[in-house]
Amino acid sequence: MENLINELKLKVIDALNLDGMTPEDIDDNAPLFGDEGLGLDSIDVLELIVLLEKNYGIRLASPAQGKEVFKSIAVMADYIAKNRTK
Amino acid sequence: MTKVYCIGCGLVTPVGNAPSEVLSAVRAGKSAFRLYDGWPEPYYASLLDREGFEGPSFFDHIALQAARTAVQEAGIDASGARVGLVLSTIKGNIEKIDTDDVSLAAAAETLAQGLGVKTKPVVVSNACISGLAALLQGVRMIRSGAYDHIIVVGAEVQSRFIVTGFQSLKALSLNPCKPFDADRDGLNVGEAAAAMVLSAHPVPFDPHPVSENYFSGRDPKNQFPETSTEPALQGDPKNQFSETSTEPALQGDPKNQFPETSTKPALQGDPKNQFPETSTKPAPVIPSEASVSPWEIVDGAVRNDANHISGPSRTGEGSYNALRYVLEGVSAEELAFVNVHGTATRYNDQMEAIALNRAGLQEVPVNALKGIFGHTMGAAGILESIVSMKACDAGVVLPTQGFSQMGVEPAVNVSAQERKTDKKAFVKLLSGFGGVNGALLFRKGGAR
Amino acid sequence: MKQVSIPSGASLTELYRKWVGDYPKFFKMDTLSKLGFLLTEMLVRDEPDRFTFREDRAVLVFSREGCVANDRHYAESMKDFPSPALFVYTLPNIVSGEISIRNKWGGESSDYVLASYDEARIWDLVRQAFQDKCTQSALVAWIDCTSDNEWVTNAWLVDKTEML
Repeated sequence: MENLINELKLKVIDALNLDGMTPEDIDDNAPLFGDEGLGLDSIDVLELIVLLEKNYGIRLASPAQGKEVFKSIAVMADYIAKNRTK
Repeated sequence: MTKVYCIGCGLVTPVGNAPSEVLSAVRAGKSAFRLYDGWPEPYYASLLDREGFEGPSFFDHIALQAARTAVQEAGIDASGARVGLVLSTIKGNIEKIDTDDVSLAAAAETLAQGLGVKTKPVVVSNACISGLAALLQGVRMIRSGAYDHIIVVGAEVQSRFIVTGFQSLKALSLNPCKPFDADRDGLNVGEAAAAMVLSAHPVPFDPHPVSENYFSGRDPKNQFPETSTEPALQGDPKNQFSETSTEPALQGDPKNQFPETSTKPALQGDPKNQFPETSTKPAPVIPSEASVSPWEIVDGAVRNDANHISGPSRTGEGSYNALRYVLEGVSAEELAFVNVHGTATRYNDQMEAIALNRAGLQEVPVNALKGIFGHTMGAAGILESIVSMKACDAGVVLPTQGFSQMGVEPAVNVSAQERKTDKKAFVKLLSGFGGVNGALLFRKGGAR
Repeated sequence: MKQVSIPSGASLTELYRKWVGDYPKFFKMDTLSKLGFLLTEMLVRDEPDRFTFREDRAVLVFSREGCVANDRHYAESMKDFPSPALFVYTLPNIVSGEISIRNKWGGESSDYVLASYDEARIWDLVRQAFQDKCTQSALVAWIDCTSDNEWVTNAWLVDKTEML
């Protein structure tokens, strides 16, 4: 899980162009959206949906479902571990 | 300030090309939507029939066809030194990005050559409000004093590029879209071309009053080679229209439905009949009621939300500011309707409802045409304005296909069914990515 | 009239760090938007009352190629996993949207495509844009970006009085 979390942080930083950030800058449990944490927006949600499909073979039905899955890096990693197809 | 009139229109749509035919489709709720195979996801769209089309670019083809029809109706010489061209499109020939020059500049050059326009064209590419912004640009060019007529052309064809993009944004509905409805779940893409000739001269313009000179230097056969020879673009109506949607009540006497367009067959018929080659004189232009008292584009505005590149403002800021600008000194009572953007995405329609309420337009009938044409992008502003003018001429507020239950808060006065109106002014509203919003005020010449 | 440009191939990240530094959304933008964003910063960074909503300034952006550089990136992504973040920049007017958002400019924003760089033509169109009674000044830019390291730019901040 530790490895998956680190790998995921790197992929998120790359996919969302979070300049200058390193995995250490992202708290596993901090919210990804809203004013706290990374402050991601609606297009970032959509890009994370692509990230899940491209890297882990997971297809989310809707951006609404994404809001649940993308609560934090830890929640995301847990979801991936349980649902990945590749 | 110079008044600017619309003196010619041209349409290419999946439900017909003659304005009367298109208007009757909208009134009857007939569309050409169907499910198409995608890449790989399927998509629901209103597309033009390309069967039988052979040529380098379908986009160039439909843009030229709509433009020629408008120029023909206006009776202007497109090659005049004071005739300008404005093109509105979002992605033009994007489907050929791997092989060709897909710049919008190249598309505009091709269109200018096809029309014989001698002045340099300009493309206005303001996302989904492009058509409206292009009309406003045309108005401004005439008011600058440098032009007598501006041909404004909007066109869009759909492609893997656009469809997969909207799919990645989860913006498309797999069902017929439902503008302003409680169950709306996204937009449908559409294809169309639409053109208007704007002019400082309110009556059909005859640049060569001596009729013998009318065709001097020009071969009439070359002028209108396409409008009369392309049934393929209109397709088989039986295939396009679902049988369940024919409503006899709306298909009454054509004379009552289209009091104006139906009395001027000369403007819609076969160009060969209009300008018989055997005659040395062109058939006289019979001024219709519409052309004697043409529509005027009073003014327009483009405003930015300054909020987000893809999400509409939660306060309807830009849309409200654009409305406020065009409605200065105009009473809501004067408006027959507001023809809104109404894409049927959750956020767009909600945003428009807020803007309309803030502008004090909550009682004015509101309609959206995306349930018939889909989102025709660069063509939308011009297509929807033309259909709105024709509806007003026919004395009706068009229905909003797809709407049944109020799905915005605060509510607006959505026109679910056709209504009668004797008012002679309306507002066209659009919004788009990049935070852009636009409003145009149309008024029948002499109505005020 | 103030005028600035950015040499083709310059490091936009370096310019961002020099002139701005606190707007991480910059890194999400396509090259066209980054150019428009930086050109604007260079023109207005010393203006008083920055970031107060105003409706009296237009953003008018001109080019030949529009957003073709980013279009190619999206077309590449579309072959396997279409990228929504790339798709939103496949519109030539996103650059003017980014400028409007950054500066809270709620006035007109318009994007024009011309066959070639033609200053006389640009100023004709700018003069026409001033027909909007609300518009008192305009950020005007020619940004022709053919790839992520090739472009031609020129940007001006003009007052209505300079256009009469």
